[in-house]
Amino acid sequence: MFEHIIPRMTEMFTTVANEAHGSVYTVFFIGFVFGVLIQYSRVDKFEKIAGFAMLRDTVVPKMLFLAIGIASIGLYFLIDAGYASYHVKPITLAGLIFGGAIFGASMAIFGKCPGTGPISIAEGRIDVLVGAIGGIFGGLVFTVYFDVFESLMGKSLGKITLTEIFVGNEAMTALIFGAILIAVSFAIPLRQEFDELDLKQLSEDEKPLQEKTPN
Amino acid sequence: MLRRMPWWLGGILMALLLLFTFSVFGADRPFGASTYVPYFSGILFNLDPEQYPYLKHIENSGAWEGVMLLGALSGGLFTSIFLTKSFRFSILPTGWKKYKNSSITSRLIWSFISGFFLIIGARLAGGCTSGHFLSGMGQTAISSIIFGTVTMASLIYTGKKFYKSEALDV
Repeated sequence: MFEHIIPRMTEMFTTVANEAHGSVYTVFFIGFVFGVLIQYSRVDKFEKIAGFAMLRDTVVPKMLFLAIGIASIGLYFLIDAGYASYHVKPITLAGLIFGGAIFGASMAIFGKCPGTGPISIAEGRIDVLVGAIGGIFGGLVFTVYFDVFESLMGKSLGKITLTEIFVGNEAMTALIFGAILIAVSFAIPLRQEFDELDLKQLSEDEKPLQEKTPN
Repeated sequence: MLRRMPWWLGGILMALLLLFTFSVFGADRPFGASTYVPYFSGILFNLDPEQYPYLKHIENSGAWEGVMLLGALSGGLFTSIFLTKSFRFSILPTGWKKYKNSSITSRLIWSFISGFFLIIGARLAGGCTSGHFLSGMGQTAISSIIFGTVTMASLIYTGKKFYKSEALDV
């Protein structure tokens, strides 16, 4: 029943090896570092993502906006110097709006996104494993009924970036966009919710007020 | 002392990882983490890419993310065992007990449903937190800014409606 899996996994490695998007080791390394960063900053926890949905924890938006802010400035100069290129996703308006609405609601309930989910499973979370099985079925339904979903997404209105809108001021646009996001990341007040186990590791003065043990 | 990294350090390092992935020294492509799901669905259910146009379409990007995911699983496992020392089998998140209910069945059913729709939503929009937020907005892409705005609005609306406003006793 599962004897097809091994050859197809081998095929996956061959596909990556034959592509010019980093060696298998480089790609694995990128994933490894991603796993360490997500897990070590604790944003794989339910309390961080669902906590953000409830506006009780702000670590996710702070970290996300800071990362995008720095990356947008760095990436502009990296591309300008010829060391990287743009890979922009098309504006398929209906797909972006329906997809974003469904994605946001699911993320609030699941407390994970597709990148943080597996890293959470690597911490022993059974509920996330069940959600990932749901995701595999989601992927199956999307693949089988792709023609239906494709018609829902609507036509592409092009692949535009902010820097292309402000022609002549590309560098300034990237700098301002990045600077605003970095400023936002610091301006959002830090609020935190904790997992029981993480809470136990906090020192007394780091604990949120209501969680302090009475003397 | 909680074994963790502050948000600003996480943000800076994540930006560097993103820039490395984009650069010709890394992978010369954006970072993404939702295409691997239908790719693995295709592998598990043994669907033939010649028969399913979507699988043909994601043959390369799905494989790239599949290998990246294996790295992420290893990195997550390494960190949870050696750095955060937080590895343990668990089903009910603390936050779920505090703001939703104490039912394992409820959590598992909602996990399955939200996991299912998480992937439908991401594939409809053509990306997720990684592909649209990090990689897309990092390129100042209009499509990703639209996705980001809708996602955040829906996330916060659902958070308000789905969970209790007062913490329950746990």
